[in-house]
Amino acid sequence: MMMSNKLPAAGMLLVSVVALNFSAYGQSAQVSDPTSAGKAVFGRANCMGCHKWHGNGGGGYGGDALSLRRTELTREQIIETVGCGRPGTGMPFFVRGAYDEVKCFDMNRQDAGPQMPPEGGTFLRPKDIEAVADYVIAHIKGAGEPTYAECVAFFSSSSRVCDVYKAESQKPDHATANTGKSQ
Amino acid sequence: MERSSGPTKVSTRACLLAVALAAAGAAGVTPVFAADEVNQERLLNVDKEAGNWLHHHQNYAGHRFSTLKEINRDTVKNLKVAWTLHLGGIEPGGIWSHGGLEGTPIAENGFLYVTDGWGSVYKIDAHGGRGALVWKMDPKTDRDWAGAVACCGVDNRGVALWGDLVISHTLDGRLIATKKDSGQVAWQRSVADPDKGEVITGAPLIVKNMAITGVAGAEYGIRGWIAATDLSTQKEVWRTYTIPGKGEPGSETWKDNNNAMAAGGGSTWVTGTYDPATDTIIWGVGNPGPDWDNAYRPGDNLYTDSSLALDADTGKIKWHYQHTPNDPYDYDSVAENVLVDIPGPSGPRKLALEADRNGFAYAIDRTNGKFVWGLPFVKKVTWTKGLDPESGKPIEYDPNKSVQTYIASVTPSRTNMETDICPGNMGGKNWPPTAYNPDLKLWYIPVIESCNRIKVEVMTPDKLKPREFWTGGGPSQPFRITGSVTAIDVTTGKIAGKLETPFPNLGGMLATSDLVFTGQPSGEVMALDAKTLQKLWEFNTGGGVNAPPMTFSVDGKQYLAILVGLGGAWDKWFIDSTPELKKIQPGSMLYVFAL
Repeated sequence: MMMSNKLPAAGMLLVSVVALNFSAYGQSAQVSDPTSAGKAVFGRANCMGCHKWHGNGGGGYGGDALSLRRTELTREQIIETVGCGRPGTGMPFFVRGAYDEVKCFDMNRQDAGPQMPPEGGTFLRPKDIEAVADYVIAHIKGAGEPTYAECVAFFSSSSRVCDVYKAESQKPDHATANTGKSQ
Repeated sequence: MERSSGPTKVSTRACLLAVALAAAGAAGVTPVFAADEVNQERLLNVDKEAGNWLHHHQNYAGHRFSTLKEINRDTVKNLKVAWTLHLGGIEPGGIWSHGGLEGTPIAENGFLYVTDGWGSVYKIDAHGGRGALVWKMDPKTDRDWAGAVACCGVDNRGVALWGDLVISHTLDGRLIATKKDSGQVAWQRSVADPDKGEVITGAPLIVKNMAITGVAGAEYGIRGWIAATDLSTQKEVWRTYTIPGKGEPGSETWKDNNNAMAAGGGSTWVTGTYDPATDTIIWGVGNPGPDWDNAYRPGDNLYTDSSLALDADTGKIKWHYQHTPNDPYDYDSVAENVLVDIPGPSGPRKLALEADRNGFAYAIDRTNGKFVWGLPFVKKVTWTKGLDPESGKPIEYDPNKSVQTYIASVTPSRTNMETDICPGNMGGKNWPPTAYNPDLKLWYIPVIESCNRIKVEVMTPDKLKPREFWTGGGPSQPFRITGSVTAIDVTTGKIAGKLETPFPNLGGMLATSDLVFTGQPSGEVMALDAKTLQKLWEFNTGGGVNAPPMTFSVDGKQYLAILVGLGGAWDKWFIDSTPELKKIQPGSMLYVFAL
């Protein structure tokens, strides 16, 4: 009997939560933001696979991806790094023909040797690379710790991925937020 | 109930929620089951239904051994693809560009139940020599939420059966009961919380009307646990933390001033085993966090890197055995404990076998948690000279030291910030399951023969943030990594054979009377002679094998089934050690073979 009560309830709850989130988050997506194309590239080229959605990167299994929040790279340097990758690290190159017909850091494939960076999962056109650099400059470089508003602006989806930042902003001491004491 | 061998349409959904289940809604009442329903009696006696595969690890003891004999040493050369079925679930999410397949199919009365990486459950009708999808239950996993804190891939290792329900997990922390006949979700419950960095990848273990759940997230500062959910009331029966609370036994093994134990790791993401004779659940516990900065957490860090024995009714810890105290390597002991009985001078020895990430295979007396024997099963171990023959602890282990250094010149530490370790941090042996042949008393380990390089990052409490890596460093892959199948004679505790393979074993093992089956991430599924490990048959699936084979029978015919689709941690974090695997495409396919 308990079960038959719960069946439809659980199903409806899921549906309504999804619908709510769409409408709430949908409004915050700024169609007019000139860097929205760059944000799309940030997702499509899987920059977030290592740098995370917030750009802070960090250590862990994948090695130490650069923090784009604390970076001092200029727009031009970011464009060069995305196009050519970073020799000797896991940062891939995203320009078709890099180190072949397109010289990178004055090197071809042979010069780079074992320092040759990996190839990105997708190739980006120069316009895409400029767009993602503009997005990093406008929304990530120089920003402090990630916030709920930033997260919602990034995902604008029904995911619960941002909830943790909402909770965070209500807590004065970030370091104790994950101690598991509440269990 | 469903014995029709004709095509079953997805649309024909007979909603036959048995009366028995409604009755089971009242707590404490033992459910009454119809003939086809799975109950404790059937789970205890799987040897009586050899054509089915009812447990994740085949039986409660974790043997992954089948007595089916149609496919054998003489006939295996004629093994061919009978049918295949494309599955889904390779979508990206979080930090992951695609999902993979790590599951073990469950087989009951000619139907298969499999999962994809995002936790969709597929019921497949295997009657009549082909596979037809009966239904798919898509739990609509929150991919960005869960995928951002899944250290090691978009993975789900399969389902369990209970009553007329299919019990499964999702990466975003849910336990879901799906009606076996219709594919409708009967109920679901949140067990793990991705906001805390917790996700679930393992298959549930069913013990006496409870689903036992393990958790992943030691790379994200979780405090690990094993939890039991009552499948009638849907309520939690117990939750045992793998890191003790303040003042509890074992808390004295966390000697720091940082409250490291609150984020001490100790994940439990590989399905455990159950000994009905003593009503004991035996479950492996993963690494402490931060993984590589062990000076942050001085002390032995119980119960990380341990095998835990729990009372099934209460979850109380009966005994523990720790393999790598104050682990500075990420050497989990999360692997399954295989329960075997070996004739001894004073009656049968009741052992629990575990092949550890640290490169050693252990036999523990499962009645009391005492060490029996241990030996390296990998070709190269550099971090210790070996195990103490009495205690089984690494020889260099010093109980008076707060921070263990083992062989200090090759151990990651604050004074040795970059070093090479063998085995590498994936092991040894990772989650891919072993198999045990109780006739030959041979235990088959799927081995990663490896070294890798560890860079240490000194951690401070301010670096601990929800949903961010808490690893104290990271690995890189300057060395080629290969693999092997290594057989151990459990009566002697010695290596009986080793078949080296070009790639690490990322899938696991199946044993039959005279064969063992396994796969390679480069695509091959193979059959080996159970005694000599000589390769007798091989088929290239054209994908990456990242899941264990299993076998079942329907219409009187034996089949071999395996999920194929490379995902998991390897092709994101460890691929540089196996460059040829970069060309393996993401995929999601069930292969079924027959003579």
